[in-house]
Formats: sequence, C-alpha cells, structure tokens
Amino acid sequence: MDANVSMLAKPAVTSWRPGLAPLGWATAAALLALLPTLVDSPAHLNLLILMLMAAQLGVAWNILGGYAGQVSFGHAAFFGIGAYASTLLGLQFGVNAWLGAALGALAAAGLSVAIGWPCFRLKGHYFAMATIAVAEIAQVLFTNWDCAGAAVGLTIPMQQQGLRVLVFASKAPYYYLALGLLLLSLAAAWAIERSRLGYYFRAIKDEPDAARSLGVSLTRYKLVALAISSALAALGGSLYAQKELYIDPGSVLHTGLSIKMALVAILGGVGTLFGPVLGAVALTGIEEGTRAAFGGSGRGTDLIVYGAIIVAIAVFQPNGVVGWWRGWRARRAARSGSPS
Amino acid sequence: MRRTLLRGAAALMLSAGLGAAAQAQTAEVKIGVIYPLTGAAASTGAELRQALELAADIVNNGAKGLDMPFAAGGGIPGLKGAKIKLVFADHQGNPQVGATEAERLITQDKVVALVGAYNSNVTATASQVAERYQIPFLNPESSSASLTARGFKWFFRTTPHDDLFVHNAFEFMKELQAKKGIKIAALASFNENTLWGNETTKLQAKLAPEFGYTLAKQLTYPAKSTQLTSEVQTLKAAAPTVVLQSSYLGDAILAMKSYKELGFSPDMILANNAGFTDSEFIRTLGRDAEYVITREVWALDLATRNALIRDVNTLFRSRAKVDFTGNSSRTFTGLMVLADALDRAKSTEPEAIRRALVATNIGAEKLIMPWKGVQFDASGQNTLGRGILVQIVDGKYHTVWPFNMAAQDVVWPMPAWDKRKQLP
Amino acid sequence: MTSAILLQTLASGVLIGLIYALVAVGLTLIFGVMDIVNFAHGEFLMLGMYGAFWMYALFALDPLWTLPITTLGLFVFGAALYRGVIQRIIGAPMLSQVFTTFGLMILLRGVAQFLWKPDFRMIDHSSVSGHVLLGGVQLGLPQVVAGAGAVLTTAAVWLFLTRTQAGAALEATAADREAAQLMGIDSQRMFTLAWGLGAACAGVAGALLATFFPIFPEVGANFVLIAFVVVNLGGFGSVAGAFWAGILVGVVEVMGGLLLGPQFKTALVLALFLAVLVWRPQGLLGKA
Repeated sequence: MDANVSMLAKPAVTSWRPGLAPLGWATAAALLALLPTLVDSPAHLNLLILMLMAAQLGVAWNILGGYAGQVSFGHAAFFGIGAYASTLLGLQFGVNAWLGAALGALAAAGLSVAIGWPCFRLKGHYFAMATIAVAEIAQVLFTNWDCAGAAVGLTIPMQQQGLRVLVFASKAPYYYLALGLLLLSLAAAWAIERSRLGYYFRAIKDEPDAARSLGVSLTRYKLVALAISSALAALGGSLYAQKELYIDPGSVLHTGLSIKMALVAILGGVGTLFGPVLGAVALTGIEEGTRAAFGGSGRGTDLIVYGAIIVAIAVFQPNGVVGWWRGWRARRAARSGSPS
Repeated sequence: MRRTLLRGAAALMLSAGLGAAAQAQTAEVKIGVIYPLTGAAASTGAELRQALELAADIVNNGAKGLDMPFAAGGGIPGLKGAKIKLVFADHQGNPQVGATEAERLITQDKVVALVGAYNSNVTATASQVAERYQIPFLNPESSSASLTARGFKWFFRTTPHDDLFVHNAFEFMKELQAKKGIKIAALASFNENTLWGNETTKLQAKLAPEFGYTLAKQLTYPAKSTQLTSEVQTLKAAAPTVVLQSSYLGDAILAMKSYKELGFSPDMILANNAGFTDSEFIRTLGRDAEYVITREVWALDLATRNALIRDVNTLFRSRAKVDFTGNSSRTFTGLMVLADALDRAKSTEPEAIRRALVATNIGAEKLIMPWKGVQFDASGQNTLGRGILVQIVDGKYHTVWPFNMAAQDVVWPMPAWDKRKQLP
Repeated sequence: MTSAILLQTLASGVLIGLIYALVAVGLTLIFGVMDIVNFAHGEFLMLGMYGAFWMYALFALDPLWTLPITTLGLFVFGAALYRGVIQRIIGAPMLSQVFTTFGLMILLRGVAQFLWKPDFRMIDHSSVSGHVLLGGVQLGLPQVVAGAGAVLTTAAVWLFLTRTQAGAALEATAADREAAQLMGIDSQRMFTLAWGLGAACAGVAGALLATFFPIFPEVGANFVLIAFVVVNLGGFGSVAGAFWAGILVGVVEVMGGLLLGPQFKTALVLALFLAVLVWRPQGLLGKA
C-alpha cells in the first residue's frame, strides 16, 4: 500500500536536462510568436491553426481521459455548447465574444457536472458509451431547437470585425487566439499535474480502491476533472465558431469530433502534458496531407491511406508519440550505459 | 558551401526559364471545384464531376455540331485561348473541410474562381472563405435561400432557390386542382432534418396558408435512418391527400420501399428534387418509383423543344453512361456561365471577373436549362431561373408543369400499390 | 392513431429490433471474449450486404441461397482480420485498441468506395420481395424473413456457446482467460474464433438487410451506434442480453418515433439507455 501511495506522489512528467531548458524554451517561444510572419501561405497558416485547435481540444480531453482516466467519447457536447453559447449570446444579445465564450465555458462546466454525477458510477466501456449517448442526445436536441437555429445553423456576420466580436479578415489573429488558448489549456494541465489535484486524479486512474480507502472522494474529483475538461473544450468550441463563422449541429456536436479529440491525445500519448500537442500535429498533418494529395480523385484513396496510417500507429506504437520518444531515450541511455 | 550555392542558383534560373516557357506554351486558367467526392453525397458528387469535366472539355477541345458558345473549342477566346484547368477538391460533406479546401485552392493552387459545393451548409462556409479573399464563388446547385441573403459581393448563384421551388409546388397544386376539378384536402410535409430539409419545412409552413392549404402534419426525421416505419405510420394516420417530401437519395429510396411495404399510398407524392431526381433513384427502385412527382430543374423531354439540350445530353451520356439530371445539368451550366464571364472579363483579375459576372446576360437559347436566361441581381441570385415539375412514368421523367411546357398530362391520383402493373 | 397502426408499428419495431440484435450479438461476442470494442463492426455488416449484392448482380443468385457463402466469407474475413491486425494489440491499452478498430473502420469504408464506387445499390427482386398479412398487420416480407433469420442465427450462436465444446471453451476464455489457458484452452484460437463468429453474425445480418435496405460504402454508419447502444444495454458480453436489448431498442425507436415524433427517435433510445444504465450500471443482463 505504501509503495503504491508513494508511486502516485511522483508527478508523471519527463524531466529535461536543466542546462538546455531555458534556451530551448525561449527559442521555441520566439518561433511560435513569429510564425505567422514566417509562413507566407495562408493555407499553411490555416493548417497550423487547425493543429493548434486540435491540440487544445486534445489537452482538454486529456485532463479527464488521460489524467483522471475517465475515457469520454462525448466531448463534442461541450465543444458544441461553447460554440452555441457564445454565438447565440453574440447574435441575440450583442454580448462581446470574450464574455460569451467565458459564459459558454461556465455553462458547459455546469451541465457536465449535472450529467456527470449520475454517470460516474458507470465503469470503463459503459461510461464511454454513456458519454456518446449524452453527446448524441445533445445533437438531436440542437437539431430540433428552433431558437438555436435548428438544423439550419447559425451564421456570424462578417460586417463587424475586431477584438470585441473576435471576427477577423486575416488569419494571423486567429493563430494567436488559438495559440493563446492552447497555452492556457497547457498551463491548466501543467498546474494540475504538479498539484494535489493531479495526485488525486492519478489515484483515481491507477488505484481507485486505494484512493477510496484513504478517504479520497472519487466522485468529487472526477467531477472536478470533468468540469475543467469541459470548460476548456467549450472555449475551443467558441473559437471554432469565431473562425468558421458558421455552426450547425452536424459540425459542432457530432460524435466523430469527440473521437477525434480522444484520438489526438491517444496518438500523442495519453496522460502526458505534450502528448496531445504532438498527436494533434501528427493527426492533422496526416488528415490534411492525405486529403490534399488524394482527395481530389474521389476514389476514397485518402481514406484508405488515413485509415491505414492510424491502424499502423495504433498497432506498432500504442503508447503514442511520447511513448516512442521515451522509449528512444531509454534505449539510447541503455546503449550509452549511463543513466539518463 | 559555394558549390551548393551555385547549384541552387542554377536550378533556380533553370526552373524560372522553364516556367516562363511553360507559361507561354500551355496557358491555362485554373478553376477550383469543391464537391462531395467521398461521404454521404459521394455518388452525386461523382456525377457532378463528370458534368464539370464535360463542360471544360467542350470549352477546351470543342464539340462538333454543337450550337452553343465555346463549342468551337480552343479555350477561352477572351483569355487568348487559355484552357480551363479544373482543380478538384473533396469537402466530404463537412463545412470546415469545405472552408479549408477553399482556402487551399485559393492560396496554394491560385485558382481564379471557385465553383461548388452542392451541399448548402458547405457552400455557406466555402463561399465565406472566397468572400474574405475576394475571389468569385459560383454556386450552381445549392438551393438554401439564406445563401444569397448574406450581403456577399463575390457570391453568384445560377440555380433558383428553395423559396421559388416551394412556391412552384403550391402553384402547381392550385393549377392542378383547377385543371382536373379535384380537391386537395390535406397536405403533409415529410422532410429530412438537416439544413435543406429544415428550411424547406419552414417555407412550407409559411406558404401553405397563403395558398389556402392546411398542413395536417409536418414531419421531420433524422437523415440516415435505419428505418422509416414510425414516419410512414404517422403519415398513414394523418391520411393526407398529398405528401410533400424532401429527402436525399438513401432516405428517398428507403421511404418509397417503406410506403410499399406498409401499404401507404396518398393521391400524390410531391417531392423536392435531391434524392428523387438522382439518377440512382429510378435505377434502384425500378417500378416502385412510378408516379412520383418531383420538382426538378431539368428534364430530357425538354430536348424535343431544344436541340441543344438533346445534343449536350448525348455527349454527357457517352461520358457518364447516364442522362443529365437537374443536378448535373445545373453544374454544367454553372461552369459555362463562369466561362462566359471569364471570356468577357478578358483578364484573370478577380475584380474583372466579378464585374463580368455582375454584367452577365445569357439568353435562354444558349442554355440547356428551361430558364429564361442568366442574369444576377444585387445579391448574386439569378433572377431568370425557374423550376419545373416532372412525373415518373414508365421509368422516365416527364415534364408535367408548367402546363404549357408539359410533355404529358399528370397521372392523378397515384394508383395504389396493389393496383399497379406488375413487372413481367 | 388506431390500434391497427399501433400494432403494425409494434410489429415493425420488433422486426428491425431483431436485426439490431443480430448485429449486436456479434459485437458482444467479440467484447465478451477479449474486451475489445470493435468500431469497425458496421463494416462487417456492409461487407455482408455487398457480398449478397454482388452474387445477386453478377450471377443472379438469390441472397437467401447465398447466405451460407456470405456467412462463411465474413467468418474467414473476421478471423483473418484478427490474425493480421488485432492479434498485435491484445495487450495494448484500451485506448489504442479503440484507435485500431477506428482506423480499420475508416480503411474499410475507403476500400469499399475505391472498389465499388459510392453509388447506391439495391437488390430489386429476391425470393422474399413483397409483403405479408399476419393477423391483419401488413409487414414487408423481407423484414419478416430477416427477423426470423436473426432469431435462428442468435439461437444457433446460443446453442453453440452452451452445447458445444468449442463454445464452452469460448465462454471459459471470456470468463477467465488465465484459468482457461491453464486448462489447456488456446486463447489465440478462441480469439480468432470470436472474431470469425462476430463477423459472421454481422455478415448474416447484412445479407438479410440487403433484401430491403440500400447498399453503399457508408451504410455501416447508420447501424453502428445503435449496435453499440444495444450491446451496452444488454450488458457487454451477454448474448442473451444483446438479443433482448435489440428488440427493446427497435420497439422503443419505432413506437417512440410514432408517438413523440420521428425527429426524436434516436434521442428516445439513448435516453432510455441512459436511464437503464443509471439504475443498473452493468446493463440488463451483464455481469455486475
């Protein structure tokens, strides 16, 4: 028992060699900040933005699915609530986009807790299926809800632009918004990892019985993870709405989106800080790449390639990119004969 | 280091030289086309692709004996014979993918204009991208009325939209009542529940009372159902005289099968294009498709009045192995309208093309559509379009309305299932 | 809303529910034996439909007569898929298993579109075209035959699991893999068998469906969500659970659609599903 407890106390973060760290981070930060000026093609910049947005959603999902181990395939519900909340508040009541997004996040967190509370007594696959059911019900409700545009969807007009309404003609502002949101989400994940909260999450994931016997309220902390995760997903939804300027139930509430969020985290490395980021870069790259290369033929070749790549990665590298990275470093350390 | 630099410079100069030479030889004008090549609407997308390739082929290589603009071939005269190069992209039925592809086509492939996208919700986002980049977007087939209500300057739509089409349906019923001396008691609408079906439902609810009809039931159902039993049973219970139906292909087929299996036979099924006019509809249902009346935009029997329609259809048939439908004919026409604008613009500058599009004035005799012509109003909508109504009899679509264009009379009422001629 | 219509709707609900049940039986079998959620299960259904269709279109063979061929074909395909792909991820975390079957789903759909184009196909005239009158209720004959076929196939699977030695071995592996191995039961063979059987069930369902449902590469998507709900509702791993849950879902979907509006039929099924789970977290007949 004691061994388990002490094992849980260690944060699950890779430790970088102290010497290079600040320089590495500074370079990365500068590069990220200057990227829009370095990339001349808007389509490439768009690709980067899609990667950032996918990464942010993966990080959000990871808080519940990776850290706390509660696998959800219904996160599109929160994404959609965020998108619809900020859009409706802006269109109907003229609420500024920042406030609308914040309110959307709050709404998502609140609803998630209300729905999560009965669902958390379910285990494993049953829980995952319940999350799918919740998101699908949400999609049906929004499809038939006239005040929210029903199946016709909602369009954000382009006439008004600027920071207040978060509508821009060029891509660069969206890049910074996406980057900012991703950094915010990563900061939240990092803070959780190093805090007592993260310790409880890991307990719930790895040793729920031990945790319960130590007096940790499993349900309460699962709900906390869910609330944070759903709030961040909702913010991602609001950003999507502001970027695409058109939302409908099929685009922001469908289960394929939920699966994508999970896939990004899985591909990169579940339960790690940067896993979802790497997974997003890889998955988005593969998706957009196969479609750009093969999509025009209409023969489904891009789907074949995409599916094959996913299967290959899942089969040969189940621990994701981060798992591969760690394995590589471990093998290199073993070969050189010195501890890493 | 120096050697690589020299090599690099040499390569650069060589490619620049080659590029210039290439430009002079095969001048082409790139047009981006965004359609559903995979996903639920993929079979329609494949046909629309054929229509586009035919149009481009006629412009580039000519077609003997065809009496229409550009039939001489040799590219676009106003652009010194530049040939049309279609750059295809697949939107997979997803609005975000449509927007991404539009951006890629504009910024990477440097297309001069976009054509697309069949699905109204994808047209919404893709044309938005075009509006942001100030590139002309020509929409040949999306019928959602809201698309031209956005105040866009770069969006042009050749097809009439749902408001007109729903009007057509009600006008038809009124005229039919007068002509045949019948009474249409109750209507029911049965529409799928995505953007297009939803908008149609609202339009029908608005227009029915204006024409003096009551909608006994307004049914909406989720597309891609595994069964339509509850829907059909509800319709049976409501017992309408006429069912107004909007379904895509899969549901249209399933619905007809369910009608037959559950013994539901109203006096008229008045469908709204889409699945009912897809070339797979009759092919898959065979005799079970008989007597359905649907709104269309094109019919083969119009060729009896217009040799051009017959000739172009023959060309399409030899390429695609099927006749034109309302969808493929509109897509064909859309590209032709764009070619006409490019010709008059005499430049590939976006603003020049836009102005040329605004000034479009194509006469009815140059089109393969039963329209009065092509002329865009301030919102980018073609005001000279119109719909027709066709009925399936003996496995073919026959124009039945407007009555002055009808090839034959309306069969009313629809015979009950067990009273129909059986297949030999 | 006459009682005739209610009765007819109820009967239709049972019939479509039986199809759902058959698809779910295959899915729950795979899960029960090896804990893997097969996202690509809808594609087994799709392949069964195409198999029946092509034998009909190319050789004019009636889908009911070619049913054994389709079943065998899907059995082999499922087993081969296990040996080729799934075998490698047996020990992997649940999430990467999900990932694998999800990738397979996309891959198979892409292959179907590549080979057969996205066009819709239908079997116009089979030996079961038409409709029947059963006690005043009019039902499509293909649906009735499909329902009967589903019952027979589920019964066959049930008998196999409870009355044969191979079936007992399968159940033993499902109950406790290590113990079964200690008793000499080769897990790999059991897994291969499970995948083959699971795919075969979906194949039978597909061949039966093909007599009345349009066939296209993405058709699996229409059924897979419902199949998952049924498996969950019945209890993961329980064949009897999948059977009864399938019928229940079919009835709720159709009756609910009739009484409350078809636009809500999916939501109703899902709401019922959630309600049952909250009351009984392991599903109707699942292991607690």
